[in-house]
Amino acid sequence: MVKSLIIEPLSRGWEILRQFMYGLTGHEFARHALEMRRDRESIFMLITIGDLVGVPVLPPVYSLRLLPHVLPRISAWKRQMARPKELWEKEAHGLHGV
Amino acid sequence: MNTLSAVILGALTVYLAYTRYARRIDRNVIQSDPKRATPATLYMDGVDFMPTNRNILFGYHFKSIAAAGPIVGAIVAATLWGWLPALIWLVLGVAFIGWASDYSAIVLSVRNEGNSLSAVAHRLVSPRTRTVLFLFIFFYLLLIAGAFVGIMATVLESQPKTHLGIILLVFMGLLLGQMLYRWRMGLVAATVVTVGITLLAILAGPLTEGAFKGLNAAFNDMTAGAPLVTYFDPTLANFKGAEAKIMPSLLFWAVAICIFCYAGSVLPIWRMAQPVVYVGFWITALAMLLGLLGAALGTFIKPEIAQFQIPAFKGWNPQLGPAGIMPLWPMLFVTIACGAISGWHALFGSVGTARQIENEADMLPVGAGSMFTEFLLGLLALLAVSVGAKGSPVAAFATGLGGFISVWGVPLEHAASLAFAAFIVIVLVVTQLIFRVMRVTLTEWLGEVVPPFRNQHVASLISVALAILLVLTGTWIYLWQLFGAANQLMAALSLLLVTVWLASVGKSWVYAGIPMVFMYVTTVASILVTAYNLYFNVYQPNLEAGRVLPVMGSGLMVLVALLLVVAALFIAIDGWRAFSKYLGQPAPAPGAAAARS
Repeated sequence: MVKSLIIEPLSRGWEILRQFMYGLTGHEFARHALEMRRDRESIFMLITIGDLVGVPVLPPVYSLRLLPHVLPRISAWKRQMARPKELWEKEAHGLHGV
Repeated sequence: MNTLSAVILGALTVYLAYTRYARRIDRNVIQSDPKRATPATLYMDGVDFMPTNRNILFGYHFKSIAAAGPIVGAIVAATLWGWLPALIWLVLGVAFIGWASDYSAIVLSVRNEGNSLSAVAHRLVSPRTRTVLFLFIFFYLLLIAGAFVGIMATVLESQPKTHLGIILLVFMGLLLGQMLYRWRMGLVAATVVTVGITLLAILAGPLTEGAFKGLNAAFNDMTAGAPLVTYFDPTLANFKGAEAKIMPSLLFWAVAICIFCYAGSVLPIWRMAQPVVYVGFWITALAMLLGLLGAALGTFIKPEIAQFQIPAFKGWNPQLGPAGIMPLWPMLFVTIACGAISGWHALFGSVGTARQIENEADMLPVGAGSMFTEFLLGLLALLAVSVGAKGSPVAAFATGLGGFISVWGVPLEHAASLAFAAFIVIVLVVTQLIFRVMRVTLTEWLGEVVPPFRNQHVASLISVALAILLVLTGTWIYLWQLFGAANQLMAALSLLLVTVWLASVGKSWVYAGIPMVFMYVTTVASILVTAYNLYFNVYQPNLEAGRVLPVMGSGLMVLVALLLVVAALFIAIDGWRAFSKYLGQPAPAPGAAAARS
């Protein structure tokens, strides 16, 4: 009874607080790091397989060898390239409320 | 009236509005469906579209929307009209309008494939609405940049005890960026080091006050004590208006702030802007949390710091300068923007947060919950200025907040230093982000027409120059109110989009439509009042006295005000056309999301 009435709610509450604090503090950094990596990957994919999105890039000789590695990301990459972006999206994480 | 009563009122507001009103709208109108796939799950790419736990997202969204707005707005409103009107607007605004705007913007994006507000506006209303939104954003940024730089320069010049903390904040921010992104240190260790050092520097501020006072005096000695610019300020002499002076020391701090903001604008975001905001956020969050708890407990532990000192109501139209008017309606509703309702939140929510919503049932706690929590921030600022009642509005706020913090055993002098620093820090870190987004907006808007704007340094310098021009007009209260108007117009636009969308899918639009009309009419009226005040209270007196800079600055602001009114009229016309069209014939929602199994 002690476990269900006290320990479990406390434990749940602590987990919620931890998640909330992570959202307040680390989540933004994690997202930004992912965005930085995504931007670099996007440039790499544009250079190597840019012809898939209609960019007149002459595929380098190693494109076929890279294809199995980039295949899982191609559809998400094409969607990301084609999606209209707002000018403030890149700075969205900086759009802290005023 | 004491702080405990106000805190209880605030808590009751949040509880009742969330459980009785917001939940009902979510259940009966929006009909959020936990089984419906969200854009985060449909288009998951691990970066932009990424399903995120509700509690994490709540913290992330709250941090993204809560900053200096609710603090400054509450301070100004309480000073002008008394604490009672400010409290009523905070309570009613967030209960009926604020949460609806934030929550609905997220819903709009989630139900429209994660598209942003402007993309939805382009489709549902008209392509012109998107351009109008850009206009709002740019002027919003310009006005808030001018207002914040002005208020910060004034506070920094008059509070030398905060200088050490601010200088250390910048260096610790740079260090944190290096630690996290280059040295790959853990966040906890990096936070303890950088935030700890900054906090110590802030608390030690009174010890270095003398040295920085000498610095200000040295600057002013360069002109033998003569001001650089003299202007008529309607807020001085108990709001009757008097001659104010911009001394070399004030200009130095304004330029120093602008250099800081310029660096934040052009350097990679991970290098400076992001880590500085992070460190600053910790300082302010600590001060606010200690303050809020202290405000609640102060009634029992230290009753002398918990009693309201300022009048409850100062009048329907307090005098502001010889020719100024400041009617309660509509000016209160744009003076307190964030904390009650803010269009900026809708903008961010539709881009950042909506694409991370894992489950439609999370939309309400994240969107509305964050707004209600921000309301508590505005409430705290109101309580602080109401009990402080000492000197300028910012000094009253710092005295009040310092008193709340002192409940925890911190000596009052150091607590007040922390409170001052918390205020400056939150305004400073937000301002560098404002310049960053302003630079991006200028580049996007004018880069094709005027190629030099494509250069980030040129765009940043232009932004800084415009902000300095507005600072030198000295009428920051009108800057603040014009900024509030631009912000609330964005909120009205966001509510308009929600209203049109609800009509297009055959749902009840009343909960968004009525607040939208109220915000729109109030905001347009406030812009006209501000334009009147600027012209008769600032432009004309300074023109008669032959002062060029204040005339230029106030003239620019009158122009901005008129442009905002014209933009608002376009929105009204396009919005009405779209609403009328969809009311009769609901349009099919694009790509109805498949239900999850």
